[in-house]
Amino acid sequence: MTPSLSQVLKHRQDELLEHWLRDLSQTSSDGSFSSAHPELIEPLRELFYVLMTQLDQAASREISLATDQPSRLEREQQTALEPPLKQLVAEQARLQRSLSDTLGFLLYLKHLLFKALFAAADQAVEERSILWLDHCFEQIARQTFDLALAQRDRYISEQSISIMELSTPVLRLWHQILLLPLVGVIDTGRARQITDHLLEAIAKYEARVTVIDLTGVPIIDTSVAQHIMKTIDAARLLGSRVVLTGISPEGAQTLTKLGIRFGDVISRASLRAGIAEALLITGKRIAAMEASPR
Amino acid sequence: MNEPAPAERIAIRSHNDIVTARHAAREHSARLGFGRAYQTRLATAVSELTRNVIQYAGEGSCLIEEHADEDGCSIRVSVEDHGPGIPDLALALADGFSTSGGLGAGLPGTRRLVDHFQISSEPGLTRVVISIRKAR
Repeated sequence: MTPSLSQVLKHRQDELLEHWLRDLSQTSSDGSFSSAHPELIEPLRELFYVLMTQLDQAASREISLATDQPSRLEREQQTALEPPLKQLVAEQARLQRSLSDTLGFLLYLKHLLFKALFAAADQAVEERSILWLDHCFEQIARQTFDLALAQRDRYISEQSISIMELSTPVLRLWHQILLLPLVGVIDTGRARQITDHLLEAIAKYEARVTVIDLTGVPIIDTSVAQHIMKTIDAARLLGSRVVLTGISPEGAQTLTKLGIRFGDVISRASLRAGIAEALLITGKRIAAMEASPR
Repeated sequence: MNEPAPAERIAIRSHNDIVTARHAAREHSARLGFGRAYQTRLATAVSELTRNVIQYAGEGSCLIEEHADEDGCSIRVSVEDHGPGIPDLALALADGFSTSGGLGAGLPGTRRLVDHFQISSEPGLTRVVISIRKAR
């Protein structure tokens, strides 16, 4: 490590930070990043200090790329950098900023460091310290990328869990009438969950009719049809009749072409007709209010 | 009418890929101007075939190609896997036959959904090619 790098880091740290943050507040002239959101400044500042500590430690230990176990060093550096990077990536995701902007911020810091290094060097800058700094930032970029991906994966799995929970409500439509609106993809796992919820509700409310609405199911293939049939059979065993609603005209055509027969299940085109049917079965009807007697 | 889009290959490895494949099939058919009934039929057929891939072979692939000429346009979907194969094709194409406790409507039903249906199967390679066609 040339003395110039550690000197630059020590003496010009505050100046570098100020310069970096100032330039990040506007879109870069070469388009490598757009201006940093004000809420990103704090995480960036924190990252800067951790990074400087890491660079300084490495410089004081005279570490070179070739000789001193770069892998062990990288692990240390990664562990130290993980919390601030994680925070930065989380903020960026929350603010819906792009990952390439964040990478742009980091690489711009590299650019500033190099510039400061060259400006301060009395004689030619040592090759290995250039290589080393470059390598460091490569690591950081890679780590940032991995963290951002991990963050996104976590969001996706959280969302699919919440969709799973949200999308199988069993609604009590009226006395002894339940409504099960199905939305989205019905696979084996969801089908089981739907059946569980429904049977529980039928038993609890002593439902005589269940309206299953399929308006939100994009494709009814043989597998989905089979799941629905099993749900219907189980509901019947508990004494609830089932009214299917919301099969689209093209869905109906497809089902008959496939050769799937829903047998003696009552089916109505719209939810409205299905509800009317359910009321009829339970001996109720919706009627206009009579003029109230004076 | 739009020009044919490049072919699209979708790897079928999990249940999510079934959704991706049938969604792609629907989009391709909508793009070429097929009506909603046709779109649904093709998407359902792709759903059946790719589900078979997951169920019987574990993984495979789905290739969607658009064709257009002076007479009309068509979409061809080839679904392939390297699973154990179907020992008796005639039986597998009969209504109500299933080795997995299903409805036994998948293959024969798919054949009725599309305009053209071709299947070949041996251990290590099963290929189903379907297409729908529309006159200009």
